[in-house]
Amino acid sequence: MSDAEAENLDTVDDRGSYVESPIIMATVRVVAPFVFTYGLYLMFHGADSSGGGFQGGVVVATVMLMLGIAFGIDPLREWVRPATLVVIVSLGVGAFLAIGFATMLPPFDGAFLEYLAFGFHHDSKYGIEAVELFIGVIVASTITGLFFAIDAGKEGGDNE
Amino acid sequence: MNVELPLLAFVLGTALATAVLRDVLGAIIAFATYSLAIAVVWVVLQAPDVALTEAAVGAGVTTVLFLLTIAKTVRPSGDRVLERLHWPALGVSVLLVAVLATTLGALPAVGDPNSTVITSEVTQYYLANAYEEAGVQNAVTAVLASYRGFDTLGEAVVVYSAGVGLLVVLGREVFA
Repeated sequence: MSDAEAENLDTVDDRGSYVESPIIMATVRVVAPFVFTYGLYLMFHGADSSGGGFQGGVVVATVMLMLGIAFGIDPLREWVRPATLVVIVSLGVGAFLAIGFATMLPPFDGAFLEYLAFGFHHDSKYGIEAVELFIGVIVASTITGLFFAIDAGKEGGDNE
Repeated sequence: MNVELPLLAFVLGTALATAVLRDVLGAIIAFATYSLAIAVVWVVLQAPDVALTEAAVGAGVTTVLFLLTIAKTVRPSGDRVLERLHWPALGVSVLLVAVLATTLGALPAVGDPNSTVITSEVTQYYLANAYEEAGVQNAVTAVLASYRGFDTLGEAVVVYSAGVGLLVVLGREVFA
């Protein structure tokens, strides 16, 4: 098995980073929706059980990694669009900040990130979950970005 | 059955395998196994949040990134399976472990109800008020996202900065 893998890795530069395998493709097709759901569960349910935005974000990012490994990173990159990814990360940070500042605005007049200032039912719980969701967005898109960046390598360098 | 000792032996074994295996692919696989074992250690220590992070980041994402990296570089060829030991480095490592080991006696036992962390006023406040004030059942989440929300915002920005820093180093505008 290690010989076959070694061969794959050695020939990877000739064929691009995409080595087609029906077993991996079928497995990913079956597993990906469940892993994605689990990631979302960790993000939304982190307030009441173990988990949270960071863990959920990483699990969602692994779905992207799986898709990239099974169906090729270049098709995935075209599907996601690297520019969109940068926008999503920035939006995640912006949304986190926005929630923080929203509690300071005139109708609420609370401190930064003081969810209780909102004053609606379960405000703190929903505030925490929203924040967790945006942490998840930041983490998931950053990891996907790292994946793309490492795959692309430094421009102009040769794969010796 | 006592699970700690076999687990500890497994962690040490995989750590050693990661260090001395000459084949990079083998070392990466050993490293992933090591991360998974460490995740189990966190579960044994009843820290499921940390265990989830270790399993997802250490055993999952890092492994994939390492595999991508060796696909872009060369692997050492040869008949030897194990790396030759570098004695000065080994000496420094043993010395460092010995120095760190002297602090082990100061640590409280696992689950000790009289340890300073448990009896601390701050911990007691969080445990007593997290459910009512933050409205969530996981006290860890309440501390992270509510009591120390500003701190967590900083952490999220650190992740963001890591991505931005990578783009700056690579001289790119997008993750292409």
